[in-house]
Amino acid sequence: MANSSAKPLIRRHAEIGIFLIGAVLIVIFASTSDGRWANLYNIGTILQVTATLGLMSLGVAVVIGTGEIDISVGSTFGMGALAYLWLAAQVDPAIAAVAAVLVGAAIGLFNGLLVTRTGTPSLIITLGTLMIFRGIAIALTEGFSFSIPYAARKGWTYFVLGGGDFLGFNTALYWLTTLTVILLAALKATPFGNRLLAVGGSAESAHSRGVRVDRIKLSAFVLCGTLAGFAGTLEAGKLGFADGSMGRLMELQAIASCVLGGCLLAGGRISLPGALMGAFVLSSIQSYLVVTGVRPQWFILVLGLIVVLAAYGDRSLRQWALRK
Amino acid sequence: MENSNPLIQVKNLDLHFGAFHALKNVSVDFHAGEMIGLVGDNGAGKTTLIRVLCGIYAPTSGEVFFDGNKVQKFHPKLAIDQGIETIQQSVGLCDNLSIARNFYLGREPVKRVLGIPFLDMGKMREKSTRVIRQFGLRANVSADDEVERLSGGERQSVKIGRAVEFKNRVVIMDEPTNHLSVREREHVNELAVQLKEQGLLVIYITHDIFQVHKLADRIVIMENGEKVADATTDSMTAEELEEVIRQGGRVVEKREAV
Repeated sequence: MANSSAKPLIRRHAEIGIFLIGAVLIVIFASTSDGRWANLYNIGTILQVTATLGLMSLGVAVVIGTGEIDISVGSTFGMGALAYLWLAAQVDPAIAAVAAVLVGAAIGLFNGLLVTRTGTPSLIITLGTLMIFRGIAIALTEGFSFSIPYAARKGWTYFVLGGGDFLGFNTALYWLTTLTVILLAALKATPFGNRLLAVGGSAESAHSRGVRVDRIKLSAFVLCGTLAGFAGTLEAGKLGFADGSMGRLMELQAIASCVLGGCLLAGGRISLPGALMGAFVLSSIQSYLVVTGVRPQWFILVLGLIVVLAAYGDRSLRQWALRK
Repeated sequence: MENSNPLIQVKNLDLHFGAFHALKNVSVDFHAGEMIGLVGDNGAGKTTLIRVLCGIYAPTSGEVFFDGNKVQKFHPKLAIDQGIETIQQSVGLCDNLSIARNFYLGREPVKRVLGIPFLDMGKMREKSTRVIRQFGLRANVSADDEVERLSGGERQSVKIGRAVEFKNRVVIMDEPTNHLSVREREHVNELAVQLKEQGLLVIYITHDIFQVHKLADRIVIMENGEKVADATTDSMTAEELEEVIRQGGRVVEKREAV
């Protein structure tokens, strides 16, 4: 009986898989870590990591929604963080944050223009820009890091931009919540969202109905870059320093979050709550490995294994749901 | 009809896809209130020609005039804004969206809240529900269902219903009766005639010369990217026209030379 009602629900909501996996992992992690994982301080840390990774994942999800991919977000994130710290030392952090977000948007625009104007697959374009902007970030820092000492990080703008906690949670989490609500509304309830998903579902059909496919894709890339730049800003606001490797490999985590969260890489079907849950699961796994003292050299290996298992579990669930 | 200015005038149209010469020096006039049967074998260039008319392809050279004005830019958005509705054969619906969302794709009705345009889902559902009921889709299909769920005939019905609902000046139908049952096919053909009688230009693409000969005022035959025949249905019988297609247009070249 339960099966017959659960199946259509899982079919319609691809993100259910990741929520179940998340629930299972939370139980396992909480019961096997002697309270080192499941305490308010650690959850707060996980949520701070989820917030910055989640913002990136939202952007990547939007691009995946159009049937493209952006793997340059890790470098965009790093560039956003560097731009913020470099400027925040000289002007008000709010202005620095705007500039950092604009840097992200500009990288997104660059990606989007290359993809739409040349017709080259976004995978290879953004792989290239991933390296280009990582290279620029490394060249800019040249071995030293950008930092603002803790004592200098006073005032509400630092606080709001990831530098403080509100009601026990880093302010980045509130940014994530707000932006998720806005993006969800834009995706589900505006013509822009309708056209964006149409482009991902069938670019040809969308084009034949008068949708300007290239503009939609371009705006998705700009949005993605903007969010990655902002995520970098919040992370830099939290840490107070950044070097050339800031955000490395985060692009892979962001894509993994989206796919685990039920976003179809072929485009047209994405779930923003799913992508966020994916980000939460990845951050939780990392935190668990840290608090249980897994040796750093095994860390990536174990993380990868859990991701593969989670992806397999999700796929099995979906296939089960598709069977009559 | 012959005296009035053509609604769509195509002059010396050429279209190349790389080395492939898809349309060769095509010139043809279409008038308002006329039903045209556009006929030809697979690969004859019928679909390519109408894809120029509805803005999907831009021609390599040649001119298209719409209502006396030269078309400067080709984009489906511009064609739709001008009142050209097209029922495409293979494209037009996004599987991942609901019927209501597909119905209004590209021209979504909005309600503004604080200046932000939000989809008017109520209106979208109401109109598309009415159309899917008119077209007799299964009773358990709702406007919120994804198009992926629909059968070939149902998809075709949604596309035709959409074109009829937004009818404006021109309706182009590319193989509209494919996938349809006999009853549905008759319904579509009746609709096509009604649209023509309301003064619209209807361009009806098909393989089936006998079917369209009964409906259309004029038949245009294409072959290998060229127009090989253009005759009113009362001047040539379906059998004669079929012979033209069978001969690959050669007979007509002789006739035109006379």
